[in-house]
Amino acid sequence: MNVIVKIGLRFIALLLLQVLVLNQIEIGFGIQLMAYPLFILLLPVEMGVVVQMAIAFVLGILIDAMSNTYGLHASSLLVVAYLRPAIFKLFAPRDGYDPLMETNIFNMGTMWFLKAFGILIAVHHLWFFMLEMFKLNELLYVLQKTALSVPISFLICILLQYLFIRKRVEK
Amino acid sequence: MRNFLAFIRRFQVLLIFALMQGVALTFYFTFVHFPRSQYLTTASRISGTILEIRNDITKHFDLSNSNTKLQEENIRLMEEHPMSFIQLDNGLAEINDTVYRQQYAYMPAIVINSTHDKRNNYFTLDIGSEQGVKDGMGVFSSNGVVGVIHNTSKHFSVVKSCLTEDINMDIMVEKTGQFGLLKWNGRDARRGTMSGVSNDTEIKKWAKVVTRGGGGIFPRGISVGKVEKTDVVEGKPLWDITLLFSEDYRSLQRVYVVKNLLLEEQRNLESQNPVDQDQ
Repeated sequence: MNVIVKIGLRFIALLLLQVLVLNQIEIGFGIQLMAYPLFILLLPVEMGVVVQMAIAFVLGILIDAMSNTYGLHASSLLVVAYLRPAIFKLFAPRDGYDPLMETNIFNMGTMWFLKAFGILIAVHHLWFFMLEMFKLNELLYVLQKTALSVPISFLICILLQYLFIRKRVEK
Repeated sequence: MRNFLAFIRRFQVLLIFALMQGVALTFYFTFVHFPRSQYLTTASRISGTILEIRNDITKHFDLSNSNTKLQEENIRLMEEHPMSFIQLDNGLAEINDTVYRQQYAYMPAIVINSTHDKRNNYFTLDIGSEQGVKDGMGVFSSNGVVGVIHNTSKHFSVVKSCLTEDINMDIMVEKTGQFGLLKWNGRDARRGTMSGVSNDTEIKKWAKVVTRGGGGIFPRGISVGKVEKTDVVEGKPLWDITLLFSEDYRSLQRVYVVKNLLLEEQRNLESQNPVDQDQ
């Protein structure tokens, strides 16, 4: 499949998933599920960081427009796009990234995914909840929200990949 | 100049990041307090339509519950209807009523999108300016007060609910009349707080709290909740009152929008008040 079509479809799918499903799941304890950072992770490796940030901004603003958060999602997703190259550099495999390979959990291995995406999604959630509260005396509650939401969002992202990305058959 | 260009080139990514971040945060901090356009909210046409489709699918899940609520309300209204009273005195003359004049009109609406878990929760209604909704109108349900219209488009409107940080609704304890402002601390969708009540007055537990009707947004006496507990605020002569909301915002379906027919008269009169010099 053409890469651009694939990315476009993924964009729409994650947007709708977030707005129509995940935003409506309200478990309590301040848990809020956000799976769309996965979209930024799965963008091609060699894509320029400015382009990534532009895409992140658009996706974030669209999610904001449908959940009345007026820029919160855009701001946190921008952070993810900005940090992605640095995180990728930090956990680069010995012989570098294959530019044609998608950086999903099957291609890169579970450990790599756990480390790289774990950091990105944790930063994303922390940034989101800090801005949402915007009060230092509620820091503990922000940390509680982050600590409870990150594992569940992370699991959803893994699940999405197992459901929708075809595993490359080893030769 | 050369150095400056080199600087820009060096920190190009960071600068673009800061710029976009600035735009996003400006949106966030300006929109929460002063809505300027509808395009970034669920009142916009596209997202409103998508959410309406979703609501068409999911509204039936809660049908039996909202039917019971409507039935209860019907019973209550029926009890007030003349047909459920016996006429005791036949001799009275009929009077063309000039003592009472209608002040509030109500419009029914359906909540097509709502949250209760975020720091600021907004509800989207399926009626908009074409049906006569305007910014600043009150919204309540059969159980209690819901919020204030924050933003409208042609066919949708966004309600700033009681579950937002700066809702600051004018409320009072029904029996004793102490009044204060409604606040929400972001934790529990069933509980809010009432601030600004001086602690030299006594507040009874489970006393009913209702709207005060001060701003001309709500009629006086729409239920808000009950006093659950009162704590002392440190260093201030005020009570920190926890309220248990009478409406469960987690399963809200049908609401009414209040239109105050005499609002302009009240505003005109109040605008003639002398302005405080020290403000």
